[in-house]
Amino acid sequence: MKSADKTLTRAWVRAQSRPARRAASPAVFAGLASTALGVAQAGLIATALAAVLTAVGVPDRLLAALALVLVLRALFGLAQERAAARAGIVARRRLRGSFLRAVVAAGPPLLRRQHSAAVAGTIVDRVDLLDGYFSRWIPAATLATAGPLIVLAGVWWLSPRAVWVFVCCGLAVPVGQAVFGIGAARAARGQFLAMMRLQSRFLDRLRGIATVVLANAEEREAVALGQAADDLRRRTMTILRVAFLSSAAIDVAMVAAIVGVVLLYRHDLAAALSGHPGGGHAAGTVASALAALLLAPEFFAPLRAMALAYQDRAQAASTAEAARDLESAVELGSESPDFGSGVTLVVENVTYAWAADRGPALRDVSFTAGPGDILVLDGPSGAGKSTLVEVLLGFVQPQSGRVLLNGCDLADIAPAALSGAMGWVGQKPVLFAGSLRDNLLFARPDASAEALDHAVRAAAIDRFLPLLPEGLETRVGEGGFGLSGGQAQRIALARAILKDAPLLLLDEPTSHLDPETEAVVVDALRHVARGRTVVLCSHSAALRALGTRRLDLARGVLMEAAA
Amino acid sequence: MSRMSSPRPALSASAALREIAGVWTPYRGRLLSGMAISLLALACGYLLMGSAGARLAGLVTGVAVSTLLLRVGGLGRIILRYAERLYAHDAMFRALAALRVWFYRRLAAGAAAGLGFRRAGDLLARLVGDVETLDGLYLRLALPVAGLCVSLPLLVWLGWRVAPMMGLGLGGLFLCGAVVFPLLAAWMARGSAAEVSAAESSLRVAALDLATSLREARVFGAEARLVTAVQRREEALYAAQTRQGRRLAVAGFCAGLCGQAALLLVLAALGGVLLPGNLVLGVALLFVVIAAFESIQGLTRAGLLAAQIGHAARRVVEIAHEGPATESGLVIAPMTGEIVFRDVSFSWRDEPRHAARPPVFTHLDLSVRAGERVALIGPSGAGKSSLAALLLKVAAPTEGTISFGGVPLSELDTASLRARIGWLSQATHLFDDTIRANLLLTRPDAGDESLWRALDAAEIGDFVRALPEGLDSWVGEGGARLSGGQGRRIALARTLLAETPVLVLDEPANGLDAETERAFLATLNRISRGRTVLLIAHRLVGVEQFDRILRIADGRIESVPL
Repeated sequence: MKSADKTLTRAWVRAQSRPARRAASPAVFAGLASTALGVAQAGLIATALAAVLTAVGVPDRLLAALALVLVLRALFGLAQERAAARAGIVARRRLRGSFLRAVVAAGPPLLRRQHSAAVAGTIVDRVDLLDGYFSRWIPAATLATAGPLIVLAGVWWLSPRAVWVFVCCGLAVPVGQAVFGIGAARAARGQFLAMMRLQSRFLDRLRGIATVVLANAEEREAVALGQAADDLRRRTMTILRVAFLSSAAIDVAMVAAIVGVVLLYRHDLAAALSGHPGGGHAAGTVASALAALLLAPEFFAPLRAMALAYQDRAQAASTAEAARDLESAVELGSESPDFGSGVTLVVENVTYAWAADRGPALRDVSFTAGPGDILVLDGPSGAGKSTLVEVLLGFVQPQSGRVLLNGCDLADIAPAALSGAMGWVGQKPVLFAGSLRDNLLFARPDASAEALDHAVRAAAIDRFLPLLPEGLETRVGEGGFGLSGGQAQRIALARAILKDAPLLLLDEPTSHLDPETEAVVVDALRHVARGRTVVLCSHSAALRALGTRRLDLARGVLMEAAA
Repeated sequence: MSRMSSPRPALSASAALREIAGVWTPYRGRLLSGMAISLLALACGYLLMGSAGARLAGLVTGVAVSTLLLRVGGLGRIILRYAERLYAHDAMFRALAALRVWFYRRLAAGAAAGLGFRRAGDLLARLVGDVETLDGLYLRLALPVAGLCVSLPLLVWLGWRVAPMMGLGLGGLFLCGAVVFPLLAAWMARGSAAEVSAAESSLRVAALDLATSLREARVFGAEARLVTAVQRREEALYAAQTRQGRRLAVAGFCAGLCGQAALLLVLAALGGVLLPGNLVLGVALLFVVIAAFESIQGLTRAGLLAAQIGHAARRVVEIAHEGPATESGLVIAPMTGEIVFRDVSFSWRDEPRHAARPPVFTHLDLSVRAGERVALIGPSGAGKSSLAALLLKVAAPTEGTISFGGVPLSELDTASLRARIGWLSQATHLFDDTIRANLLLTRPDAGDESLWRALDAAEIGDFVRALPEGLDSWVGEGGARLSGGQGRRIALARTLLAETPVLVLDEPANGLDAETERAFLATLNRISRGRTVLLIAHRLVGVEQFDRILRIADGRIESVPL
């Protein structure tokens, strides 16, 4: 990790933990109260035991007080758990909200950089993984310093001679953790990468499982998945080896404290007992010794809780990186030009390259189109037609030149205003889980029944509707599974028709349709296109016949605009 | 599309767990060793606390207690705890990796027709999430429960030696705290665990919807709606988690009270009449009681976990159990031969409702001789792709028989049949990997020379050569870094690489521009000479050379004059 990245990571973690600490304060308070009651509990048990050992007898009041302390302590424990869960939810809700905003702001170009499974993983798993950070680590980190201090005060009060044993053993813990903590953060990052790779790989392989199976490659893919899982194991073990070392350091310190207390009080007890057998002084020394012994686990419990939550902390740093990956440099526009009377599209000297080393996909492209124009983009596969459509959609910003809609630069138009102006049918329409009706209404949720009916007929969906078990209510799976490519394409067309926007971008809208269905769709598009600005990429003769102008693209250069 | 499968009775969680235990058989030694180390570490912890208490009490009462046990307990606890954690985790992760691979294999054997109506996001949640939930089965369930086998007898034995009633009382309280309340928690959590994991799953689906349809969302201005859908499901998840957390906290509180009661019981008994010898034992017992009840603090959570694990196990095993749509036979497919469909009827079934859809076709007859080139033309939805699915044994006909080289498909070894048939369709998937890795899918042993030959045959070789990273260029998710035509050509090159005697081409030229489409079909004429070709398309361009052209419409096939 570069040091600039590290600074950014630290800044992000700090920014996250400030409000989270506020949310966690009830949990911290309950935890402190519970620790204080633990000190009281140790004192009472030690006093009772000392009374038994020195044959003084245990007063009933002592037992009653102990019972009260025990119940109170359990209640505070209950309160602490609930408060911690609440803190986790508050923090996760806030974080997920900010991730969702970042994803929406980054928009379509994000999918060029990241697999959609990775994006979804950031929104869902990344945030939920941080539940431990918010609900366990943050309270535990505060309690790990305050808790032992409270216990130490108790030791000082109950058995002052043991204080230095506790201080020495206690100080050994942060030293050990500082040593091991550095390795853990680095390992956590490695583990997250391995996990995301495993997830992306699974989703990708599952999506293509038909291809894998029909190629008789399932065995090889299974082995490859096994290797990925093994990689995950090795990385996870690297983290755990370190995390376990830091909790082993606590074990060592606690055992040392217990043995130290026994050795320390061995001489005291011998002296006290030989001096005044059965006397009050002896009872006091015995009580001190026992209290110190009972307080040793109490002293290390907050540190142990922190060590257990350490993995949760390590997750925060890698989430900071995932959060940075979502950020986009693109500034969203804010202007809202009037598109009520149609859209005039002006493309001025647009040049665009997907990657610097591949050369520009579009080179100095210029043209103009107004309402009533149906512009047919022509050119061989890979000539830059789809790239041009992406630029017109505003998904990508040209490196030079600009696109104007009614005189306003596309980059300056607010996304909401832009989406109001545009209809689009892409090559790979995405259908999501839900009914066919939901998928259609996606384009315009408030569409009337008539409008929906019209769109269904215009896109020739009514031709396959009777074949579906529940008509428009039929559920379609991811990728429109259950529908053929042509059927999915008609859904996308119906969406565009339903949306009724003044600028239409059609990228191979009929490529999966048979001639008969295509004729219906072309007829509908003829009506839809009337008075609108249309840019069309298609190899279909019937559709191209609708065109009023033709533009030829070859290797990113606009050749000729012929009639 | 979905697969044929008959409804099965619901699988019980314990049957699912038994099945998973079967998958883990090779790791049994490691898992058991981890458990043994864990029990030893626990015993050392008791030794440390008990002997520390006994040592102090011995000093006071004048009974000699050795410090040797104290040292052994202390050292043993430190070392064994670390060894246990490391060893048990490693064993578990190995077992989990095995489970993942087992799951994928079973799925591949059953779900060849694709993901069907199951969501990919949901499947992913099952695969990754459920399998990870299962790691708790060993570490957080089996190990602590095994610990009870050390703690309970120790408490009862020590208590019995102080006073028989004490042994029984402590045993009862320990059983309440370690078994009764956690079981109660598990029982209460059974419903909420299902609720939480369903909520998680639906949140993941919503997030995946948002992520995959970012383009559509931008164009249709639907971002706010998709975000709201995610947030609604997020709130449902929090509500479910809160309900679950509240129940657990209460069960944990009750279990904690058992520990407090045990402590008071020992103290009260010590306050009564006890012999000096028993006094030392009594103090040791007190310390052991504190340590024992501390060790079971997490068990109510394990109760919840047991419910979650039961669910995860059931879902994982259930989906793995979905058998293949067709059984593999034993006969190795002949190198080539006539393809015959006789009186075949077919309809897809909808899962999970298992309702049959209207038949795609009924009583269909079709035969393609070896080496013959046949085009099958028809409107979309007419069942052209279903024919390919039947031929590849992805689905089984509802009626009638299909044979290859005179052998019914049901008797043919499925893998050998698929090795004879090259398949390219609009659903062919490009993996988010390099061009090389994508090509090697059909023939992992192919050298670069064969790869380039296949790429050139698909007329994409020059494009790949021009890429700075050549064969090692990344194609992106579903071929997103390529144009539609380029992606299809890479997929075609992959099919050609397999050099199969039969080619089933389901709309292979779709998405190519007219000029390239013609050139490509001409290439196809050249490279497919001597092979059996079944081209499925909604229309012909005109340059194809076929022996026969058939039209499929309304579930029937008729010949079209050339």
